[in-house]
Amino acid sequence: MPEKFLQIDNISVSYGANRILDGIDLHIAEGEFIALLGSSGCGKTTLLRTIAGFAQPAAGAIRVGSRDVTTLPPDRRGMALVFQSYALWPHMTVAQNIGYGLKLRRRSAADIAGTVAEMERLLGLTGLSARKPAELSGGQRQRVALGRALAINPEILLLDEPMSNLDARIRLQVRHEIRALQQKLGITTVHVTHDREEAMVMADRIVILNAGRIAQEGRPEAVYNRPQTAFVAAFMGAENKLILPGGIDGDIIAIAAGASNAACRVPRGGRMLSTGHLEARFRAEAATLEERSLAGVPNGEGLVLAGDIVDVSYPGGLWRHTVRVGSEMIQVDAPRACAPGTAVHVTIAPDNLFLFDAPAGTIPAALPHPATVLNEARVLEASPN
Amino acid sequence: MSHRPLSLLLVAPALAVILLLFVVPLVASVVGAFEVGDGFGFGNFVKATELYTQDAIFTVVIVSLSTVLIGLFSIAIAGYLTLGENPRTVAILRWLYRWPMFIPFIVTGQVLRTFLAKNGLFNNVLISLGILTPVQAESFLDWRGIVIAFVWKQTPFVTLLLAGAMASLDRSTIEAARNLGASRLRILFEIVVPQVATTLLVGLILSFVTMMSVLSVPLMINAQSPTMLTTDIAFRINAYGDYGVANALGLVSLLITSVVAWIYLRHGVRKSL
Repeated sequence: MPEKFLQIDNISVSYGANRILDGIDLHIAEGEFIALLGSSGCGKTTLLRTIAGFAQPAAGAIRVGSRDVTTLPPDRRGMALVFQSYALWPHMTVAQNIGYGLKLRRRSAADIAGTVAEMERLLGLTGLSARKPAELSGGQRQRVALGRALAINPEILLLDEPMSNLDARIRLQVRHEIRALQQKLGITTVHVTHDREEAMVMADRIVILNAGRIAQEGRPEAVYNRPQTAFVAAFMGAENKLILPGGIDGDIIAIAAGASNAACRVPRGGRMLSTGHLEARFRAEAATLEERSLAGVPNGEGLVLAGDIVDVSYPGGLWRHTVRVGSEMIQVDAPRACAPGTAVHVTIAPDNLFLFDAPAGTIPAALPHPATVLNEARVLEASPN
Repeated sequence: MSHRPLSLLLVAPALAVILLLFVVPLVASVVGAFEVGDGFGFGNFVKATELYTQDAIFTVVIVSLSTVLIGLFSIAIAGYLTLGENPRTVAILRWLYRWPMFIPFIVTGQVLRTFLAKNGLFNNVLISLGILTPVQAESFLDWRGIVIAFVWKQTPFVTLLLAGAMASLDRSTIEAARNLGASRLRILFEIVVPQVATTLLVGLILSFVTMMSVLSVPLMINAQSPTMLTTDIAFRINAYGDYGVANALGLVSLLITSVVAWIYLRHGVRKSL
């Protein structure tokens, strides 16, 4: 891993009695693209504003290279921030907006004109120099904001949800444009977003924040495939949740048979769990669906659940089924539609099954004896109706 | 179409009020300005020009100067309220600056008359600070007194409008400038004021028209010549019953204010404020 460039050491930020950030440690390498991901109120924008110098930390330090910038004003940190609202100055033209930072640095008019033209070319804004922000489209405004930030040649680029005001279609395109530009310039970038897919596509590394702390950080595929907490799993799309009895048995996690599931054993993979009840999480697209009347219990690996289709819809690509499993509802995607009322088996492969200790209060008081229930289910399958 | 008589009936009271209380007196005053003896002519204007040209210029200069000063002070105060970083001084200023708005012009005149007199509090403060010697002390009860009274009275009003407009600006436009290294003064004049220019213009125009119509302040503070047109109009009527010249002077005032009204309307059409 390259050398640390932007170091955030044990940063805590409070607004009055509210602690917004609590001991954040984050080290970012030169040229790295980091996405700060989290739901609203998790502190991600506060962290960005603290890095930028618009919020003062109650404790901790921020360093750029060997410089401590914790108490420096925003313009002395070598950083440029792109605001969520773009914050373009409505009374200035595109060229004046982009060139303002250079004007403040007392650069010559010719120099400014040259850099502005270069930025406009880089961002596809050529020919729009004399326009005011009100005469631009959302995507163009966003690029002007980016050009204004990049014109001063900052060491670090900070992006505060820069795409949340764009149409969904333009957003997909802008993601790639910003990423390509970042790669081309090799600029260290911190990007705040609440959009998981946006973070996955753009960033070298994702940092998931929850309630003012880092819940997990790592490469997109690592965070996606190996969430360390139930929160991260849910945030990364594993919204289906079941509480199952089970625990560790050597290198194996053993899930006991329950009201709606057969017993199964999955590799432990270094996971630390306590025995008792487990919270199982998985994505809708990571499960497979089979009609129960066609076969017995599927004998593949993984967790098998018995349920009934409640609803089916077509969001595109795959059919999305709502399946009742015991008292819980889960979502399962399948290439073919199953009619509501169909009895089904849902299979989740061990790699796609995320297991965590069940939080207190979610454990059902008493589970019926497992074996009888599954046998009952088989009896139902065998009946002609 | 059958609703037309009914709708006319509905607007009739409002129309009647405007006609009777506004249009008719105004037209009468304008017509009166041209009445000379039994006929019509420019006699009143000739007389008004002979006697009061200096006062007309005095009025325009005083009101224009006051408008400029009100603009500068209100930008300074509203700017501090918006960009100030010491929450306590901002809170104190926010509490203080509005008071003069609630004081009538006549009371302002009365207060400043004692304050600005040769042996008034203003001179006493300057003397005790060592800025003036007692011999140098002079009365400010002339054009300077009028300007001070107008600025003192009207600055809070423009500041109120301006501070409201500044508070509703997108704060990130200010932070973006700070992020690039702009000083607070540059942010005020290059980022904030241009964005609230329309509000500032409207506030200043309304102040201009208000000051053009104030009688009490010049009467109280500036009991000498030259003086403002309002004093002259009151004098023509009260001392001579000379409604002709008074109407002519009124029309001159109206022409002056209609210049700024024209600026206001031209801007209003463009920005629809």
